[in-house]
Amino acid sequence: MTRTAETLRTANAPAPIISARDVGKIFGGGSVVALQGASFDVAQGSFVSLVGPSGCGKSTLLRLIAGLIERTSGSLSVHGRDITGPHTDVGLMFQKATLLDWRTALENVLLPTEIARTPTAEDKRRAFDLLKMVGLGDFAFSFPSQLSGGMQQRVALARLLQTGADVLLLDEPFGALDEFTRERLNVELMRIVAEVRATTVFVTHNIVEAIFLADQVVVMSPRPGRISAIIDVPFERPRTLSLQTSVEFNRIVEEVRTTLGEH
Amino acid sequence: MTAGADRAPALRRAATHAAIFLSLIAAWEVGAQAGWLDPLFFPAPSAILASFWRIYVVQMNIWPHLGVSLGLVFAGFAIGSILGVGLGAVVGLNALVRRFLQPYVIVMEATPRIAVAPLIIAAVGFGAQSKIAIIMLVCFFAPFINTLSGVVNVNEDRLQLFRSMGASKWQILRKLVLPDAVPVIMAGERLALTAALSGVLVAEFIQRDQGIGALILTYTRNLNMPSAFACIFTLTAIGFAIFKGMEILDRRVAFWTNEEGLRRVGLARAAAHATLAGGRHG
Ligand SMILES: Nc1ncnc2c1ncn2[C@@H]1O[C@H](COP(=O)(O)OP(=O)(O)O)[C@@H](O)[C@H]1O
Ligand SMILES: [Mg+2]
Repeated sequence: MTRTAETLRTANAPAPIISARDVGKIFGGGSVVALQGASFDVAQGSFVSLVGPSGCGKSTLLRLIAGLIERTSGSLSVHGRDITGPHTDVGLMFQKATLLDWRTALENVLLPTEIARTPTAEDKRRAFDLLKMVGLGDFAFSFPSQLSGGMQQRVALARLLQTGADVLLLDEPFGALDEFTRERLNVELMRIVAEVRATTVFVTHNIVEAIFLADQVVVMSPRPGRISAIIDVPFERPRTLSLQTSVEFNRIVEEVRTTLGEH
Repeated sequence: MTAGADRAPALRRAATHAAIFLSLIAAWEVGAQAGWLDPLFFPAPSAILASFWRIYVVQMNIWPHLGVSLGLVFAGFAIGSILGVGLGAVVGLNALVRRFLQPYVIVMEATPRIAVAPLIIAAVGFGAQSKIAIIMLVCFFAPFINTLSGVVNVNEDRLQLFRSMGASKWQILRKLVLPDAVPVIMAGERLALTAALSGVLVAEFIQRDQGIGALILTYTRNLNMPSAFACIFTLTAIGFAIFKGMEILDRRVAFWTNEEGLRRVGLARAAAHATLAGGRHG
């Protein structure tokens, strides 16, 4: 099941959406090697989890893909385009919802459109529909401080979808929420990304969550940050929470644990 | 608990306050009448009240002074705080300028602004201009420092989010940095307007030609203490009005910092988009 990046490419495979070759990032003039020799492809419409302990370069990798920081080595492209700076091919979501406190949920969702152009009635309708899709149709005119943490992340998810980007980069999006809310949001996230046919890179340090959501789990390790394995998760979709109790699922959990060096 | 039960202790508290206040005034009055209190320092409340009547209603001589002083306060405040916010934003947004200005800002902040007042008069000369300049000076710093820090302390995740949406520098400023800084800028404006009131008095104490400060000096020189007190209590009322007015303005402008503002604006925005929300029933 463990493969290297080289074996990912087969002759007749469609071109990957995200393609990374030997990507490295060094911070602070050589003092911190945040990422080293990262190679992987992400296929159209697939869901990839990045899992690993704190400091192994997960957020760095995500920011590199978004073009928010510059890589120090290697090549990296999205949709076949070399990444040289911030670009709108990807949408971002962080652990903190980073909503604007002075905007209603609806206005927050509309923000990406406002930045691109003057929103039309159709844009507003779409933003409203997205809020309904994440279960917040009744809270369109609430402000972030009037919403719970889980609801705020739902708004952030709707905003992410409003960007229209077909590549979603999520950095521990539900990491600050309680277990119960997180499980529910994970299931909804799977439904929603399948519905909008997005390609998703999902960062987490929760192994079960990483496997449950993903088609591929990229296992990372720290000092220096690097990819130690890419593991396929072959389960059918849609998946339900009961999958997590199956023998095959737990075999993969074991495999990831072993790779991470936790026994 | 019923509303009536809630109101009763509040009423009782108000009554207690009123009783204490009236007792103090009565004691003051009795002490002054009996000659226990030096009338030079503690003129009788009844005498102060009579002075209020005289200077506001009979002679009406306080009105022009009041008008002059308040005009200066608002002119100096407007110019000083606009300069403060503008320069604060420019300095805050420009890392290079900020680095070079930092030490000077610290030195200037540590210097009591009032100390410079005589120098301003020497430079600008007597008259309204130098008074406005003094008020500008005392009004400048709080908005300047607050705007600067508000603009500098932008959340890094939010900034990255805007960049990834393809936002221009101008959009980042207008849609993220400035609104984010509004509450702290408003706090600076509150400080500035309060400082303006002190500023105008200092200016008028130095140039004793007109204004409420000059009037206080005149009354004091003539040992007309009840009238001087009437002027001082007038300033108390103005200071309180400024404080309350700015508080209300603050809560309206930075509406998202208080429950009531969120509710009010939320309802307004919902009403503005009634067709959109209505769509889900139809
Ligand atoms: N802006 C930065 N400057 C210096 N070092 C950084 C910066 N961002 C991240 N790092 C370092 O790079 C390493 C990887 O960080 P990060 O990608 O945030 O890890 P993760 O998200 O997996 O927890 C860590 O050692 C971190 O301290
Ligand atoms: Mg991280």
